Parts: sequence; structure tokens; C-alpha cells
Amino acid sequence: MNGNIYHNRKAQWAIYLAAFAALALLPIFFDSPFTLNLLARYCVFALLAVSVSLVWGYAGILSLGQAIAFGLAAYGMAMTMQMQYQDPVSDPIPSFMLTNELKTLPLVWAPFWSTPIGLILTFGVPTVFFIGFGILMFQARVAGVFVAIMTLAMTAAWYSMAYDMQPFTAGFNGISPPLPFQIFGTEVDPYSAGAYWVCVAFLAVLTLGAKFLMQTKFGLIVQAIRDDAERARFLGYNVAYYQVVVFALSGFLAASAGFCWVLIVQYVSPTSLEIVFSISIVIWAAVGGRTSLLGAIIGAFLVNGMQSFVGDELQQVWMLILGAIFIGVVLFLPRGLAGFFELVLGLFSGRREPQKSDWSTRRTSAVTKESAE
Amino acid sequence: MSLLELKDVTKVYNDYVAVENFNFSVTDGELRCLLGPNGAGKTTCIDLITGRQRLTSGAILFAGDDICRLPEQSIARLGIGRKFQVPAIFKELTVEDNLEVAFSRKKDPFANMMTLHRSYGQNRSDEIVELVGLKDRLSSQAGLLSHGETQWLEIGMVLIQDPRLLLMDEPTAGMTEQETMKTSEIFNSLKGSHTLVVVEHDMSFVREIADIITVMHMGTMLAEGTLEEIGNDPRVKEVYLGSEGLG
Repeated sequence: MNGNIYHNRKAQWAIYLAAFAALALLPIFFDSPFTLNLLARYCVFALLAVSVSLVWGYAGILSLGQAIAFGLAAYGMAMTMQMQYQDPVSDPIPSFMLTNELKTLPLVWAPFWSTPIGLILTFGVPTVFFIGFGILMFQARVAGVFVAIMTLAMTAAWYSMAYDMQPFTAGFNGISPPLPFQIFGTEVDPYSAGAYWVCVAFLAVLTLGAKFLMQTKFGLIVQAIRDDAERARFLGYNVAYYQVVVFALSGFLAASAGFCWVLIVQYVSPTSLEIVFSISIVIWAAVGGRTSLLGAIIGAFLVNGMQSFVGDELQQVWMLILGAIFIGVVLFLPRGLAGFFELVLGLFSGRREPQKSDWSTRRTSAVTKESAE
Repeated sequence: MSLLELKDVTKVYNDYVAVENFNFSVTDGELRCLLGPNGAGKTTCIDLITGRQRLTSGAILFAGDDICRLPEQSIARLGIGRKFQVPAIFKELTVEDNLEVAFSRKKDPFANMMTLHRSYGQNRSDEIVELVGLKDRLSSQAGLLSHGETQWLEIGMVLIQDPRLLLMDEPTAGMTEQETMKTSEIFNSLKGSHTLVVVEHDMSFVREIADIITVMHMGTMLAEGTLEEIGNDPRVKEVYLGSEGLG
């Protein structure tokens, strides 16, 4: 374990920085707007996978609710962009509301007249929701599979809300703001290199931030709580507090992904709050290796890249393929591709200390005892 | 003055009485053994002291203050360290990181976000690693340790917190004879400088370390005294030691 370069922090930072530099340079090689937009989408998915890696891989909280933060932020961003298009005097109400017989702008939409307030809500609402939901779960010491069930149920609840409240959310059709996002007097073209770089910047800054945090003592304690919450509690740590903080951070990461998503697709619908989507994120992280943030990014790129290139005829059965990949990873690479890397690099470092198991130690001592007698 | 005092402590689960009117006190610097057959209420007592279970009635005083309403982490921060019956360590972390988590004096998540340096290597940690004999294993993953080493690691984690009171729930469970011997050496070296309550089954271990022994039976105190007094007590012989006595 000593000699494995996988565990060398300097090497890790070098690889992370190199990876993000490479991502940032991609527009030089791919100048097709379609390709750039596709790559930007992968970056958004990668950010979601990082949020799962943080909360599941490091903190041991299997959250199937990352789509909640993603979806809420996506709706917030879409509402902000929609209101940028509306005119307070001549055209104050989005057209889908008129077709749903709303005569005035609903109260929840009113703050989005202001772009800064809209952006604050886009990031703030999901994060605050995760804090509240986290307090509810972790104070009650909900753990393990029950966290998965609760977050799953909550995702389903938000999905039906977005779906059913048609006058406010345009229901199944979703909201498609007519114009791209405007900020500081410029328009962010979803198919431009600029939009792609915004996504890469969010991915890079938040991933490096999360990586740094996991190397502080906070990160160490979070991992300790993952291994044995009870032990940590009796060492004097407020376990629920730590879990709420890391859950809220992962919510903020997923919310940032939701923001970037609408920036580059100019559209939101209840599908961003879907259970299937939430579970897919967990699979991306599992494929890449949930205990590695960079692994999760690679997992998201690989799986989504595969889905883009398998061809139309296989899209129908994509969920089957994804399921098969997941089962394969769980069976053969429980720590994902990153875990495989760790193993291979460990073989090269050649300093694998022989580990005596409990049994072998006891057996040898039993044998010595016998022979002594 | 007694550091820990249990007054008329009673714990009832539904209609099963686990501990009944139990009185118990430990003075500073003492090593007390808590003995008793299975189901006597020993671990329940430890659970009550550390806040894992709540009292039905009675009071628990630590250094004169009532602690029985505090949450677990607050009790731990007051200076009560606990070793679990089934060794509890952080399996995915290295031995060094396990000790680091136990060593940290800062418990607030935001304060710990600002801390990059490791406190390992300072103050008491070297001594303790030496004491529990894990010096060569510091960079090993804790989940790969042998059973005895796992027990020692947890003892080390409790010690490194530098608590005023150490509660050890069956520290030699599952250990080989040699490992038990080494553990008794560790405990003997802690005598005087630390206050310990040791729950134990293994009589040879108790014989090595005990000053005063408290024997529990069916949730109540059966007897209390030195090894010799306990050994000669006919009630203890009957319920716990059988006809063999303390040998």
C-alpha cells in the first residue's frame, strides 16, 4: 500500500489538473457546435456523478435523490431565462400559462423577473432543500438502504409535482425559454465554446474543491463516519451534522449541474426529476469508481459516450444495456474503473505486504500451542 | 471523590428488567472489573453511561454532574471513552488515519474543513502506538488487521482521546492466549494514570489486572470486593463460577 502511486496526493492532483486542462482544450479539436454541445452535456453529467461520488463514495450515503437538486435548479434556471424573455408591460405572462387559463403571473414566478434573484434561487432552493431533508433523515439516524428509499420516494414526489402542476410548470411539455441566457449584456449561445467552457469551469472548480475538502480532516471524518457511524459518535463527533453538511454539498453540486444543463439545452421538463435519471447517475459513478471523483467523471463520460454512439436501434433497449453494465461492475469491479487502476498500479509498485488474516494467525498460534504441549 | 457514580440505575425494556437499582461508583485512578454471566446487564450499564441507551430511572453522575440526558457525542467530549464489545474501527482507513480521527480535538465540521495538517506524531500519539504495538502497521488498511490487532487499535483509539474514564467492553474477546497476555500488560501499564472500567469474561485476564471486582447478576449487584473476597463469596460461586471457584 505504501508504494502505490495511486495513493500519492501529488500525483493525484497532477492527474486531476491534467484531466481538466485536456477537457478545456477540447474545443480546439472539435469545432462542430453539435459536438461541443454534446461534450458540454457530458460535463454536466460528470458533475452529477461527482456529486454522487462525494455523498455515496466518501460519505456512504446512497442518495437516489440527486435528480431533485438537479431538477429544481434546472427549473429555476429555465424560469429565470423565461422571464428574461417576458416584458413587464406588453407581455408579462409566459404563453403556456395563458393556454392554461392563468390570468396573472403566479407568486412563485414573480422573483424570477430579476436575473440575480433568479440565479440565487436556482442555486439556493435545492441546497436549502437538501439541508432540510438531510436534517430530517440524519437526525432520525436513517442509514443505509433506507436513505436510498427515502430519497427515491422524494424524487418521485417532486416528479409528480412538476408533472401535475401544469399551469405553473407547463407539465409534461416542460419550459423552453425562447432565448438563450443573457448575462452582463451578452448572450450565452448554448452551442458555443463559451458555454462549453462554463460547464468545464463548473466541473473543474467544484471537483477540485470537493477533492480538497476530502483531503482535509473534515473529509477524513466523513469517511470514518461512512465506515462506522457509531464509533465516530462515541469519539465525540456529531454524526448527523457531518452527514447533513456533506449531503447539502452534494445537493449544491447537483444544483450547479442543473444550472449548466438549462444553459446548454435551453429546456427543462419533468424528465430531469425522473427516478430513472437519478439511478443512472449512481450507475455512472459506480462504473467509474465511486470512491474517486475523477473516476466518477470518467464513468459519466464513458457511459454517456456509449449511449450516444450505440446507434438508434439500440436506444430502445438502452436501460437494459445500462443495467447489464451495472451488474457487471458490481460483480467484477466493485470499486469501478478507479479501483481497477488502483489494483494495477499496486501490482507495479510491488510493495504489497503479505496480509495475515485473522484465521491464519489463530491457526498458527493454535499449531504452536499444540506442538508446545 | 468518585469520578463515576451510578445511583439506583434501572433499565427496563418493555417488560424485561435489564438493570435494577444498580449502585456503582468508581474513584479516580482505579481499575475496576465488571464481571457477570451473560445477560447480567454489564453491557447495558456501559450503554447507559455512554448515552447509547436511556435510563428508566436513577441517575448517572460523572465528576459530580448528571449526564444521563446528554447525547452520545457530548458524553464522549466530557471525557468518557468507550471500546465496543465487537471491535469497532474504520475499516477502509489506514491505522494512522483511524488514530487521527480519534485524536482530533476539534469536533466541528467547518473547523475541520480548514485543517489540512495531521496531528499524528505529536504529543501522546507516539507513546500510544508504541504501547499498543502497532508501529509497523500504521500505513496498513485497518480492515486487514488481525483480530487481536483490531482490538488493540480500538484500545489505542480510545486511549488517544485521553479520556478521564475508559470503558472497555470485553477487550480480550476472541484473542489468543498470547494476545490476552499482551493486553493485560497494556492494561497494567495504564493503572494509576487512568481510570478504567473493564467488562470481562476471561478469568485469567481478570486475575492479571483486577484491583476491585464488581459482580453483577440478573441486573443487580451481587458482590463487590478484591479478587480474593469475590473468590470466596459463596453467592458468586453459585451463580457465576460454578463449583470450580476462581481456581
